[in-house]
Amino acid sequence: MLKLVLSSVRHNLGRYLATLIAIMTGVGFYTAVGVVSDGVISSLEGNVDAEYGNVDVAVVPDVTATADETAADPEALKVPQPTVDQLLTLPGVEGGAGILTGSVAFLGSDGKPFATSAVGRLWITDQDLNPLSLADGDAPASTGEIAVDRGTAGDHGLDVGDDLTLLTLAGKEKVTLVGITEFGDSAALDGDGTVSVTEADAFDWLNSGQAEYESYYLRGSEDPDDLVASAGEVLPDGFEVQTGDEFRADQRETTGSFAQGLKTALRAFAVLALLVGGFVIFNTFSVIVAQRLRELAVLAAIGATPRQLKRSLRLEGLVLGLVGSLLGVVAGYVLTLLLDGVLKVTGGSLPGGLGFGLSNVLGGIALGTIITVLSVMIPARRAARTEPIEAMRDAAVESAELGRTRGIVCVVLVALGVAAMLLTDELAVVGIGAVAIIAAVLIGAPYLAKGGARLFRPLLERFGMEGRLAVDNSVRSPKRTATTANALLIGVFLVTLVAVAGASVRDFAVGEVSDLQSADYVVVSQGGSLDDAFVSDLATIEDVNDVVAFRREPVTIDGTATVASAGDVSELAKVANIAVESGALADLASSGDGSGTIAVIDTGEGATPDIGGTVTVTDSRGKDVELRVVAVLEPTQDTAQTGSIIDTTTFESLVGDVAPTLAFVDVASGAQGKTKDDIQNLAAVRPDITAQEGNAVGKLIGTVFDFLIKAVTGLLLMSVVIAIIGIINTMSLSILERRRELGLLRIIGMTDNRVRRMVTLESVLISLLGTLGGLVLGLVVSLLLLVSINRDSQAAVTPSIPWIELVVILVLGVLIGVLAALLPARRSTKLEVLDAISAT
Amino acid sequence: MTAAADRSVRTAAARAVEARKTYGVGDAAVHALAGVTVDFPEHEFTAIMGPSGSGKSTLMQCVAGLDRLTSGAALIGETDISKLNKTQLTLLRRDRLGFIFQQYNLIPSLTARENILLPLTLAGTKADQSWFDEIVRTVGLQDRLGNLPSQLSGGQQQRVAVARALVPKPDIVFADEPTGALDSRTGIEILTFMRRAVDESGQTIVMVTHDPHAASYADRVLFLADGQIVDSMEAPTADKVLDRMKQFEG
Repeated sequence: MLKLVLSSVRHNLGRYLATLIAIMTGVGFYTAVGVVSDGVISSLEGNVDAEYGNVDVAVVPDVTATADETAADPEALKVPQPTVDQLLTLPGVEGGAGILTGSVAFLGSDGKPFATSAVGRLWITDQDLNPLSLADGDAPASTGEIAVDRGTAGDHGLDVGDDLTLLTLAGKEKVTLVGITEFGDSAALDGDGTVSVTEADAFDWLNSGQAEYESYYLRGSEDPDDLVASAGEVLPDGFEVQTGDEFRADQRETTGSFAQGLKTALRAFAVLALLVGGFVIFNTFSVIVAQRLRELAVLAAIGATPRQLKRSLRLEGLVLGLVGSLLGVVAGYVLTLLLDGVLKVTGGSLPGGLGFGLSNVLGGIALGTIITVLSVMIPARRAARTEPIEAMRDAAVESAELGRTRGIVCVVLVALGVAAMLLTDELAVVGIGAVAIIAAVLIGAPYLAKGGARLFRPLLERFGMEGRLAVDNSVRSPKRTATTANALLIGVFLVTLVAVAGASVRDFAVGEVSDLQSADYVVVSQGGSLDDAFVSDLATIEDVNDVVAFRREPVTIDGTATVASAGDVSELAKVANIAVESGALADLASSGDGSGTIAVIDTGEGATPDIGGTVTVTDSRGKDVELRVVAVLEPTQDTAQTGSIIDTTTFESLVGDVAPTLAFVDVASGAQGKTKDDIQNLAAVRPDITAQEGNAVGKLIGTVFDFLIKAVTGLLLMSVVIAIIGIINTMSLSILERRRELGLLRIIGMTDNRVRRMVTLESVLISLLGTLGGLVLGLVVSLLLLVSINRDSQAAVTPSIPWIELVVILVLGVLIGVLAALLPARRSTKLEVLDAISAT
Repeated sequence: MTAAADRSVRTAAARAVEARKTYGVGDAAVHALAGVTVDFPEHEFTAIMGPSGSGKSTLMQCVAGLDRLTSGAALIGETDISKLNKTQLTLLRRDRLGFIFQQYNLIPSLTARENILLPLTLAGTKADQSWFDEIVRTVGLQDRLGNLPSQLSGGQQQRVAVARALVPKPDIVFADEPTGALDSRTGIEILTFMRRAVDESGQTIVMVTHDPHAASYADRVLFLADGQIVDSMEAPTADKVLDRMKQFEG
């Protein structure tokens, strides 16, 4: 039997081509998504267990306080060395590791910086707590010694023993490369490279000479809960002590949840692509069974049992599924390599690199094969029912009858789906409702095919007899018409859904953010400072009108960790968007005798202090001061940078006369594009300094959404392409079945052109049904979704219906019909009339 | 019957001149038609008979413009159809020829009336209502016009096919084994009707058959063997035709 199957596949390769392409596309897409999202996710969430596996107690800044909804990354409190010394003497503590990171870069011998996004890290000497291991050379032990990760070393041709120039917050440093590090199996802990330095160097280069740590991890023999308790006693305000498990769970959650959501969404698209592929596979096999009816009947006549016939078809499905899936996995990898290559040329790279995991390969092959075998089930049953007598009959035509159950199931599903989407708050139920509506449409598609054909009949009859016959043909086998149209329907539905729902959410998000105006540029030094020389360099750039430098320090206000800053507020108000909710910034002044003032931000959470009330501000060394509130500021992008604003005198008495770390830049209107490069170039010299374009968040959100919508739409269009193959198959089958009929029409006077037009009209009708169905379904589901989202989140997302895109989709639908008919139409008149009509 | 007497003075509705049809080349060549010259006069019912492979179907198909000759000429009236392109041929068939097949070959999605009117619909012309009524009455389909082919018996379907061939008043009707799939009683009805179309309406019919009884309804029977006309018989009867056919087997 297997021999028969294999020879059948070999001899009918042409027929199977469409199926193979369908499987390949689906599996290829699935694999590509898997590879890319694996990389993205691992780069986003890191490997928590590998990085923090041996941490028993973690001392971290109070994340709930610092992670307020500000776009900027306020400098968090750091764990000071004296505290660490206390921690290490606690009973049961066996080792500790301080984390300190900062931006670094290398200066090449040609004067150009490289590895500009690398992270400088304090080398942890505790073996158990150090996530990095040495691949080559030694650990950095004395000052000036560094180790870099395997990836960076490979990319830039660095070897142990190289003398290099490291750009740090503290300036240029001559260093010697003594070791190559790796993180578990992967090259680097940080996506853009890790440079490990000694503790002393870390303090000097990454933290302006302060002996502090971003967080501190302990390893001990005591019960972690006891350790947490005793550690809590020695810690100043603004810090949190967690057990290793709590800490790891937090890390996973904060970094991984977005990635997991993304992965699920991407996977869902991939599976949908496979499902659309499934429709096509089903159609193709139906065609193959119909074409081979005679052959199957002969087999039945000479003694093949129904079971054997069924099995032979299923085996064909298995062989095809395996071959197609294998090719698909290869195609998927080639696709990601191409994508990576394209990105590399344009200077980017896939986040996290390419993960060629075995699970992707096996998953792709298994899913592809399973879906293929499943799609063959029904055609195989049809094949098994082949009677020997059918060897002598004309090709059989499916019955046009539709069972009553189908109708009932449809109505019930629609009712339940709409109810679920409109009446519940539970997001999962809303999702299930949407799926129910979609399922109802797919199940009820034969009715839609019949109804739609009736609807289009007057239009098509204008084309004359061929139009009339085209309509009749499409309803002759409504189930088949429906299956074909469904493949397209799903594709169009998804495209519409993404277009409508995506555009609506994008417009909403961009609208929200663009309400927040801001300075033209915000220049921030992370860990370093904006010294006078730099500020004056910045100010002398052509078309830069004004630079307002601010000093910023991490503090806690009434126990909540945040940042506070000080500077010339009247200048600030000119260049930045500082909106005063109540009170007046002008009152921000100190009479010197400890009666300091502060302007706080209304974060919308908790109680905002009243004007005239007081708040307690604590600096990182634990010094308290009571300040009078003189103004409440609206949260804007710029106030997100400054944090609360304290009068200069009080600020200096609190933290000392420190250099500014934050500057707002105002440029001549219209010169934003021109000044951008100059400002960026100036900032690039100093690894600690980043220059951000004003309202960058708004632009970023718009761009990201646009990109996502475009990318997803592009991917979905592939499912539309698969649907085209389905229409070609169905039309070919239809033509095959009606060979005699077509022959007769030509004999009694229908010209070949009109016969071809008839085939084309039928194909257009099918694709119109699929396109219109998908459009309407997409619109309805996205509107329902938006209603649910609005009710759930109390947001007011107004539906933005991209009419132009929808019209384009509709026109594309008609074009698809014409395109898909090209081949079948030619085939319909290729046969000589006499052969067409001779009884076979 | 007087058909034989004045055949020479009648115009030919269709003709074949030195018609040759060859399949294959060289030694493998098969001559389906080996130089046939024949006239099919107007208003006459001609039957073509011959054993399998004699070329009778090929002759009809080539004259009817369904197939092309290798050499020689086939004419419908004065039109040399070998000079027509595919579309012109289709239009010629639509406007001037009628066809009846062994398999009824109706369009399943069209009603009996729509099937009968199909050639006219394709040509974009209207039927002569009285002529349509007359034909429908003669074939006895008055009550069946609204039915789909699947709701008709085999005989009824063939009557629809005959009506479809006759309603446009073609110059000539070609019938390929029109009674081959019918029981003998229905077959007789169809043949009688074809005969009447010739006698009463002056229709021209060329019929290919292997049934001597069917051939006996014709004015003249042509006998083909090995691609050539070997005999013809005026005023045939079933017995005479059967006798003649037996010679081929001997």
